Amino acid sequence: MTTVFETARYEGGRRLRGAAILTAGVSAYSGFIVWYFSVLEGIDYEDVFEELPPAMLEAFGIESLSTVEGFLGAQVFNFVWLLGLGLYFAYIGGGAVAGDVESERMDLLLSFPVSRARLLVEKFAALLVPMIAVNAVGGPIIYLFVLAIGESVSIANLFFAHLLSIPYLLVCAAVGFAFSVAVDRASIAERAAVGTVFVLYLVESVIGGADAYDWIQYLSPTQYYEPTPILIEGSYELIDSVILLVAFVGLFILSQALFERRDI
Amino acid sequence: MSDETAASGGPPETSETLGTVSETAPDDPPLVVEGLTKDYGSVLANDDVSFTVDRGEIFGFLGPNGAGKSTTIRLLLGLLKPTAGTARVLGADIRDEAALTAAKGRVGYLPAHLGFDEEATGEAVLDYHGAVKGERRREELLEIFTPPVERPIREYSTGNKRMLGLVQAFMHDPELVIMDEPTSGLDPLKQEGFNEFIRRERDRGTTIFFSSHVLSEVRRVCDRVGILRGGSLVELDRVEALLHRSGKHVRVHADDAAIAALTALDGVVDAEPFSEGTQFIYAGDPNALLDELARHDIRDVEIGEPPIEDVFVHYYGSKEPEQGVSETAVEPGDDSV
Repeated sequence: MTTVFETARYEGGRRLRGAAILTAGVSAYSGFIVWYFSVLEGIDYEDVFEELPPAMLEAFGIESLSTVEGFLGAQVFNFVWLLGLGLYFAYIGGGAVAGDVESERMDLLLSFPVSRARLLVEKFAALLVPMIAVNAVGGPIIYLFVLAIGESVSIANLFFAHLLSIPYLLVCAAVGFAFSVAVDRASIAERAAVGTVFVLYLVESVIGGADAYDWIQYLSPTQYYEPTPILIEGSYELIDSVILLVAFVGLFILSQALFERRDI
Repeated sequence: MSDETAASGGPPETSETLGTVSETAPDDPPLVVEGLTKDYGSVLANDDVSFTVDRGEIFGFLGPNGAGKSTTIRLLLGLLKPTAGTARVLGADIRDEAALTAAKGRVGYLPAHLGFDEEATGEAVLDYHGAVKGERRREELLEIFTPPVERPIREYSTGNKRMLGLVQAFMHDPELVIMDEPTSGLDPLKQEGFNEFIRRERDRGTTIFFSSHVLSEVRRVCDRVGILRGGSLVELDRVEALLHRSGKHVRVHADDAAIAALTALDGVVDAEPFSEGTQFIYAGDPNALLDELARHDIRDVEIGEPPIEDVFVHYYGSKEPEQGVSETAVEPGDDSV
C-alpha cells in the first residue's frame, strides 16, 4: 500500500470545482478588460488621469494605460492578481484547517497514521490546485484575448507576471493558514486573514507613499510583486521573490509549530 | 521513545490471522492508561485516570454526559496533550507523536460526532480512508452496515453516518478500536446488530474500547466496565457485578396501602412519591417485588433501566460532582441515602 500524498490528492480533488470557477471568472473578467481596451483605443489616458493625485495613480498602478500591457497591468494584474487573488488565497487558506477543526473532520484525519506535520503539508499542497490553475490556464487565455483584438504582448513578460505571482500568492495563503491553525472557527480565521492581507495592501499602496512612514510599506507582500513593470519592460527584482519565499517558509514553519502544540 | 513501535512504520497488511498477532510486545496490553490528567484550568476534565484494557476484550467506558469520557478518548488519540500522566496505545506512548502515529495504522476510531466531508459521497470518503490506512475488510463490512455509499453525505441520516463511521473504523482490520458513543443515532434494530458485530470482532481477537452513557448498552456487550465521573475513574468492574448492583427503576400507580407495602420491601431505595403513586430504585430480589405487586391492585407499573446518575448516587454514595455537567441528573438528590 502506498501512502503518498493521499490527503493532498483528496483535498486537491475537492478544490477542483472551486479552481475551475475561479479560473473561469478571472478569464471572463480578463476578456472583458481586453475587449474594453480595444473599444477605448485612441483615447489619451494620460490626459484622463492627469487630474488624479499621484498617490492614487500609484495605488492603482496606473503607469501606462495607452498600451495593452499597461492596461492589463493596471486593470487585471493589480486589481485581480494583487488584490483579488491575494484576498482569495488568504480566505481559502484561513478555512483550510479551522474548517476541519470546526466540523470535527479533523478528528478523523488525525486518527490516520499520518503525523500532524505531514497532514499540514498535504493540506497546504491542495491550495496549489487553484493557484496553479488560475495562472496556468488564465495566462494563455489572456494571451489569446490580446491576439484576438489584434494586439500583442510579450509571452516572456506575461509568463513572468504569472510565475512571479506564485510566491506572492503563497504568502497570502500562508497568512490564512497561520490564522487557520491558531483558531477553532473557520469564519474567524477567514476574516482575520482577509483583513490582514487587505490592510497590508492598503499599507503599501496608501501609507507607503508618505515619506515619513515609507519603511512600513516593506511589511506588505504587495511591495514584492509588481506586475505592471514586468508586463511592460520585463523588469523585476529576483530578490523580491526570494523575500516572498522566505516569508512564506517562515509563516509555514510558524503554522507547523502552532499546529503541533495545540489541542484539537 | 517506545521501542516496540518505533520500527513498525505504516499500517500492517499481514495480520489476517485470528487472535491478531501484533508487532507490539505480546505482554503489553493494547491500552494502558496511567494517571492521565487533563486540566483546562477552569475544569479538571480528567483527574488521574488509570486503567488497563486487555487484549481481546470489550471494555465499556461509562459515565454521564460531561464526565470527561471524550477527553480521555481524545487524549488517547493524541488530539489533546495530557497535563500529567500518560497512556500507551498498542505500546506507543501518547506523548511520542511518531510512535503514536505509527501505531494509529492498527487503531480504528469512531468519533462521537462524524465530521465527514458533506459534499463527498460515502464511496469517495471510504476510498480516501482506504488509501490512507487500508481497506481489506471494506466489502465485508458494507454487507453488515449499509450506508448509501453512492449518495453524498449531506443526504445521510445520523444512523447512516454512524454506519459509514463504523465501516471506516473497522475496514483496515485494526487490533484496537476506540469508539466514542458508538450507538447514538442507531435505531434499536441496528443497535442489536452492532452489539452482535462487536462481540464477533472481539471473538476474532480485536480489542474494543467504547464510551457510553447508557448503562444497559454497556451491560449487554462489555466484558469489563470503567466508570468515569467528574473526570475521575470511580469504579472498574466486571459486568455481572455492575448488573447486580445497579437495580431497576420502578414506577407504580396504586393506592396508598400498596405503595406503603411496596416501599417497605428490602432493596428499595430513594422512594419518591407523587400524586398517583411512587417511583423508586429496586435492587432486591425481583421475585419479591413481583409477588408484592401481584398482591395489590396496581393501576400501572413500569420497570426499567435506572438513569445512570441514579446508579452513581445510590451505589457510589456521592452526589453530583461540581464538574460533571449531566443532563440526566436534573434532581438535586437531596433525599438520597
